[in-house]
Amino acid sequence: MNPPFPLSRRQALSRVACGFGFLALAGLAAQTTARAANPLAARPGHHRPRAKRVIFLFMGGGVSHLDSFDYKPALYANDGRMLEFLDQRAIAKTGAGATGRVMKPLWEFRQRGQSGRWVSELFPHLARHADDYCVVRSMHTEGVAHGPATLFLHTGATNQLRPSMGSWVTYGLGAESENLPAFVSLSPTLANGGPRNYGSGFLPAVFQGTALGRSGQKAAEAAFRHVRHPDLPASAQLRQFELIRALNGEQLRARPGDRELEALAHSYELAWRLQTHAPDALDLSRESPATLALYGIGQEPTDDYGRQCLMARRLAEAGVRYIQVNYSDNTNNPAWDQHSNMPKHLDHAVRVDKPVAGLLADLKARGLLEDTIVWWGSEFGRTPYAERNGTGRDHNPTGFSVLLAGGGFKPGFAYGETDEFGHFAVENKVHMHDLHATILHQLGLNHEQLTFRHDGRDYRLTDVHGRVVHDLLA
Amino acid sequence: MKTPPGFLCRLARACAGLAFAAPAVAADPAGIEFFEKQIRPLLASRCLECHAAEHKIKAGLRLDHPAGWLVGGDSGPAVLPGRPDESPLIKAIRYTKLEFEAMPPRSALPREEVALLEEWVRRGAPAPDEAAPVPGAAPARRAMTVEEGRRFWSFVPPVSAPVPAPAAAGWARTDLDRFIAARWPEKDLAPAPDADPAALLRRASFDLLGLPPTPEQTAAFVRDPGPAAFARQVDAMLASPQFGERWGRRWLDVARFAESSGGGRTLLFKDAWRYRDYVIDAVNRDLPFDAFIREQLAGDLLPAADPAERARRLTATAFLALGPTNYEEQNKDQLRMDIIDEQLDTLGKAFLGMTLSCARCHDHKFDPVTLRDYYGLAGILRGTHTLHNYTDNVARWVDTALPLPPEEERAVAEHEARVAALEKKAARLRAAARAPAVKNPRHVALAELPGLVLDEGQARVVGAWKSSRTTPGYVGEGYLTDENEGKGAKTISFTPALPHSGRYEVRLAYTSAANRASNVPVTILHADGEATVTVNQRTAPPSGERLLSLGQFRFEKDGQGYVLISNEGTDGFVIVDALQLLPLDARGEGSAAPVARADPAAEERAAELRRVEAELKQLAASGPRRPLAMSVREAAGEIGDTEIRVRGIARNLGPKVPRGFLAVADRGETPRFRPDESGRRELADWIADPGNPLTARVTVNRVWAWLLGEGLVRTVDNFGTTGDAPTHPELLDHLALRFTANGWSVKALVREIMLSRVYQLSSVPPPGAAERDPANRLLSHARRRRLEAEEIRDALLLAAGRLDPALGGPNFGTTPPTSEYGFVFADLRRGVYTPAFRNRRPDLFEAFDFADINAPLARRHTTTVAPQALFLLNHPFVIEQARHAAGRLARETPDAQDDERFAHACRIILGRSPRPSELALARDFLAGVPAGEPSAAAWAQVVQALFASADFRYLE
Repeated sequence: MNPPFPLSRRQALSRVACGFGFLALAGLAAQTTARAANPLAARPGHHRPRAKRVIFLFMGGGVSHLDSFDYKPALYANDGRMLEFLDQRAIAKTGAGATGRVMKPLWEFRQRGQSGRWVSELFPHLARHADDYCVVRSMHTEGVAHGPATLFLHTGATNQLRPSMGSWVTYGLGAESENLPAFVSLSPTLANGGPRNYGSGFLPAVFQGTALGRSGQKAAEAAFRHVRHPDLPASAQLRQFELIRALNGEQLRARPGDRELEALAHSYELAWRLQTHAPDALDLSRESPATLALYGIGQEPTDDYGRQCLMARRLAEAGVRYIQVNYSDNTNNPAWDQHSNMPKHLDHAVRVDKPVAGLLADLKARGLLEDTIVWWGSEFGRTPYAERNGTGRDHNPTGFSVLLAGGGFKPGFAYGETDEFGHFAVENKVHMHDLHATILHQLGLNHEQLTFRHDGRDYRLTDVHGRVVHDLLA
Repeated sequence: MKTPPGFLCRLARACAGLAFAAPAVAADPAGIEFFEKQIRPLLASRCLECHAAEHKIKAGLRLDHPAGWLVGGDSGPAVLPGRPDESPLIKAIRYTKLEFEAMPPRSALPREEVALLEEWVRRGAPAPDEAAPVPGAAPARRAMTVEEGRRFWSFVPPVSAPVPAPAAAGWARTDLDRFIAARWPEKDLAPAPDADPAALLRRASFDLLGLPPTPEQTAAFVRDPGPAAFARQVDAMLASPQFGERWGRRWLDVARFAESSGGGRTLLFKDAWRYRDYVIDAVNRDLPFDAFIREQLAGDLLPAADPAERARRLTATAFLALGPTNYEEQNKDQLRMDIIDEQLDTLGKAFLGMTLSCARCHDHKFDPVTLRDYYGLAGILRGTHTLHNYTDNVARWVDTALPLPPEEERAVAEHEARVAALEKKAARLRAAARAPAVKNPRHVALAELPGLVLDEGQARVVGAWKSSRTTPGYVGEGYLTDENEGKGAKTISFTPALPHSGRYEVRLAYTSAANRASNVPVTILHADGEATVTVNQRTAPPSGERLLSLGQFRFEKDGQGYVLISNEGTDGFVIVDALQLLPLDARGEGSAAPVARADPAAEERAAELRRVEAELKQLAASGPRRPLAMSVREAAGEIGDTEIRVRGIARNLGPKVPRGFLAVADRGETPRFRPDESGRRELADWIADPGNPLTARVTVNRVWAWLLGEGLVRTVDNFGTTGDAPTHPELLDHLALRFTANGWSVKALVREIMLSRVYQLSSVPPPGAAERDPANRLLSHARRRRLEAEEIRDALLLAAGRLDPALGGPNFGTTPPTSEYGFVFADLRRGVYTPAFRNRRPDLFEAFDFADINAPLARRHTTTVAPQALFLLNHPFVIEQARHAAGRLARETPDAQDDERFAHACRIILGRSPRPSELALARDFLAGVPAGEPSAAAWAQVVQALFASADFRYLE
């Protein structure tokens, strides 16, 4: 139990964190400093960090690794053959596998860049950046259905209530900016766990993610919530704010030295700063036409995701530590979930390919890629065999790929292998827990030490699992 | 600790050791040589890092000695000589993840090595006979044994202690005060003064009713304070139905009450509100707490005096049913055990203050709760059905029809008969409408069919299907046949592009004949899951219909929905002709009627159908509805003991253990279970027994915490060894014994605490308290608390004059939404009636720490963060209530000066008169209002500022 955070000392005083409010707990501490009234104050991690922030580009529904980044010649050789596969859905239901029809990739693979990484035509823009990211081809995870697997990706558990990864990071490191939240999720989906994917679980609510917009809404409309009075002009609201500040000042005077009430006063000051600064962070009108074009903004079909990616860069610059950029929708079978129509993958790819490549190029040009981890990936991959109708692929949590750029990950590097069909990760396997541990490590956090006492035991993002995959690190 | 983690599981290993004696190892020299040359080095390099005495022994399995793999680990023997396909070790290295984790965990073994190990096992797993292994490293840290546990304070039955006679005897009003005051000298503390009467009344009113007192009530009490007047106030509050709303809400937190399942695919619990109303009613009736326990755990098994009591008791069992179940878990064995685990977790914390679920995979690490205890309890719940069945792709909970009083029962039966007759008539009319006018007996044109029709040409075809027109009566351009060949390799799928999201009836066209298959699997992937329907193509669709209905399903526009016909396992020709989707929503079932055509008979039928449908709709809206409740039911045929699940893995069965309770808290004899019941009744009796050392203590402690801000045991849900010890053990026992002696009356307990002087202290710490007792464990002063989410909401609405006082009833409106997303929270009744969704809640609840309802919770978090400030500054809900409240002020003080009106506002919102400094601030603000701004707008801003002030949000 050693979080990089004053809570540890307080928890040592009293093992009651589970049922307590954060500030009630803080109220027990003898030490009183203005800083301690702010649980979001920035603090050092467990070791020297290699990266300061994360931009996670979530591809909801399950991108096919077999049609994009995991090249498997055996799929061509066996195309159309009926073979026995250990289908995970069948296994979960019946304890046995099932027959499936092998399906070759629908997009041509070529070796790209100096590194010679295989990338398919599905992502032509990302293909040009093959030397900029590391491909982990041996990912595996938990959960066969979207709900459990999506929750697992975000919280390290398929169904139990757990804090999301961004909340853990915020709990560990605090906020870099005093004017903005530390953890933002752009256009999150309402389905498959919805807010739990950026929720703080049993961590104090102050560590939860802030949703900007929601899936299905135009990215251009994404905004911080409740930062503007619906109709009071700014000058009038300032007058009202002064009244609130003065009333609270009077009421506090009756209770000198009360930390909880001090925290209340502090919360109004922080709110006012947020209200003043937050809208600017999302204002794309200050960006040059060249930058907008780089992300595909102003063109279809890339405008929407392009805006999200550019907002992510602006938020990163403004000091937001954990930014999730969602490509999903609100259905139970999200965007990339092509059970019956693999060619539809292309519709989604053209929407994200250029924006993501633009983000990588922009971050690199600004020197931000150095200390920003860009993580691109889904909750799982897809099967090498077609679902019964021969044109779609089912979920595959046993083997899939993610991309990791910047933040000290080896560029132009491929790690791990799936079997010859790309079904199971077999060599240098990386579990989702391992990926979580590795990203935390780059941020300066030790996944075994980043714990919180709840329900009588210490919890962590990686449960009792996870290892840092040092091979991925430059 | 719900996921099976990588802990050693000592008990299971011991059991495995008893069950499997190691057979003798064949001493064949060639085999031994094979082992030494090929296998030993392989094991050493690949396995021993995690499975050897000198390193670690994961999963209890040693591979450094023959006895290690023959006796095996937690999961039994790893090697079955001669039977590679059955040997767990081989299964694990084959990397299939079927029953065992794929091993080695990071990378699969090369194929040659897998082959070598298979060969070795096939040859009988020869190995030299080596000396018996030294036992694995002794367990480092051991939990308390059951015997030790029985001496731990919370498992020792409460004992009556004499009431102390503290030095400050004159100060004390009740025995509770004497217990508390007796401890003050330890820290040299004197009590704080009594609370100011206005502050005391506001505290009591929020604590008991969740609402502020009225200004008149406060004025009267301030004029005439004192213990007797306060007792009258408390008695009036205890008798108010709002007491049940406030205290019911508290129990609902403990019961992790929710109206959706949460998690990935969150499903709405449309009838959960009945359980909520049951709880509120039980509190208001002061149902003895032991009866409350019995009804929630076993209400369906208890005798009932009348239908109303029966209905109430059935409804109470929703306690077990409304957990955050992952209904789409594909491994249904796992799902079943997950539900049981969640139930044990909830009832353990709610009634016993124990974290039982820690013992799912291994003996509890800290508490004297064994794997055996856990599966003894699990057996009871295994004999109980929480799901409709354990096979559905997306599972369903158990809905039970509630009995009605005889006259209502008659009315419902009549109504149901009437509806059935009309539905039959409507079906007949619809069938007639759908049967296309027979223009061409050989085939039906697509345009003649209503709804969205896809001919086979629009389907995606996999495998060799032949086009045919041999059998007449097809839709569109003929049909496709699999020619009764290539079974399992041919499919046809339709991916309809639907005009809008909603429910559709899915119908399949095929030409029937004797040579057809009788078992064609048709899979429908719809918005709520997947369904497979088996179609018999030897028979025609019923009653002259041309297409066969496959059922009604919800689809999303632009969703991934499809209908797939396969020839897998079929016993004849499989025919696919066309697919029809008839919209059922919004436009009404009537839209299923074909587009109007110049056919008088058809038009007449359509008109008649519209009449019948209108009547049905009207009946559905007005007629008596048979109430359904979420509940559990006995699992007929599955009553009995269950097996230990080794390492918590659902399919990894260990030995059976007899049903039972917690050995450590059990002083009686071995429990006897009725042979034909799950054992829930016995479990409830055991928990609700006055002799149970935990139940009464946990309950009185929780009530104490709800009123005093902290429990005597601070970890209110954890009375185990990792929890806190009681600060006042004698007082805790005193309260527990009185509670059971008073017939488990919660109201009597609340009253006793409210009337103590300790409750009525000021929250200003007395001199020295902040230094000598910073956590206020000795209760020298009251604890200030922030209003909870519902209290803030209800107080805002009350100040605005808009709170709807209606009690109870459903809260989704007449047409339940399909999802919690998009639900508009518009109910103006008390916050307890706001739908408690697991994934989504109103902004105010989100901002102000509404209970997390995924797990039982007796204490909510209380945070003070910027989003709360932003909410109070900018949220339309707050602004709206401020405007209404300003209007109310103007109405109630029409001719008043600003000072007087501001004072009235303070009395409503803060429960007290303004201080001079506050009056001055308001005066300045109002004086500075720009000319021309209406006074109502300025006053709304003042009111909003009071809502945003500390003294509104906190109770002194």
